[in-house]
Amino acid sequence: MSNLSNGLLAVDFSGLADKIFPHHVIEKGWFVINDSVLSGFIVVAVILIIALILRLTIIRHWKTTPTGGQMFLEWLVCFFDKSADEMTEEYSGLMGPYTLGAATYICCGVLIEMFGLRPAIADLGACVALALCTFIFIHTLGFAKKKVRRLPHYLNPINIVTDLAVPVSMTFRLFGSILSGMVIMDMIYILVEGIWYIGLPLILPAVLTPLFTLFHAFIQSYVFASLTLTFVQEAIEMPPPKPKRPKRSKKGQLAAEQKTV
Amino acid sequence: MELLITMVANLLATDGALLGAGIAALTGLGAGIGMGIATGKAVEATARQPEAVGKIRTMLLLGLAFAETTAIYGLLVSILLIFVS
Repeated sequence: MSNLSNGLLAVDFSGLADKIFPHHVIEKGWFVINDSVLSGFIVVAVILIIALILRLTIIRHWKTTPTGGQMFLEWLVCFFDKSADEMTEEYSGLMGPYTLGAATYICCGVLIEMFGLRPAIADLGACVALALCTFIFIHTLGFAKKKVRRLPHYLNPINIVTDLAVPVSMTFRLFGSILSGMVIMDMIYILVEGIWYIGLPLILPAVLTPLFTLFHAFIQSYVFASLTLTFVQEAIEMPPPKPKRPKRSKKGQLAAEQKTV
Repeated sequence: MELLITMVANLLATDGALLGAGIAALTGLGAGIGMGIATGKAVEATARQPEAVGKIRTMLLLGLAFAETTAIYGLLVSILLIFVS
């Protein structure tokens, strides 16, 4: 296979294989740190520093007539708070910040790819952690809202299978889409290196990076947030109260009939 | 006969994974059809009721995410088949 592609394009894809899976940077027995985890630490540090800077600059000079930065912050926070408010009424104080935090982490964790590091989300562990957070939220909030009436939900085996499929599907959706974006970009870099003589290396990555990195980052963070809200809404949804039937004794019926007559 | 068996075994051992990767990529077919139908319906809905465009966009994105998942599974399987030996 490599012979054919070598002959056609002078492109060598054999370097792609060791870019797909994370490398172990530190390995001491069970204690393993790969490069995704390192970039995850960098992302968290960057987010904390940005939050501190925003707290000290924009939020300290909070104005009643907002300008630029304040307007953006208000829009961002209001967007998540409003959608949490619509979906999970009394738990919006919990779900709004959680979805905003998770979306920020996913978005920044993917965007770090543009600095040449491995994206923090392109590791199965990060995706499992986020999906398990959502899983725990779904079930604790379901119990907190519905108490004992939540229990019949677990008696149905189909419901249990559906519940267990939620974190798995969320994990693989996130992991697969980020990994595929990363692999496609790596493939394009290798391809462009092979056909440098047309001048494509200047244009092609610049055109395709927004498509495969920026687009994925925003779409996946938005999808993760809205899926979390949808599942929580489904879990805390109260069954509609049964319409009370007016008791009709025979006497009353007769009396009513007599009245109408 | 023995030669044939060794040939088939060799084929399965070396090129079988690549064939499987090609077959796994067919998941894109179903996902593409599903996403196309969803987008078309969303365009229809927007044309019928332009003021509901926000809600339609939210639902469309959710549906697209669900439809995209199968394609991503296929992609993961084919990547694993090619690169994990």
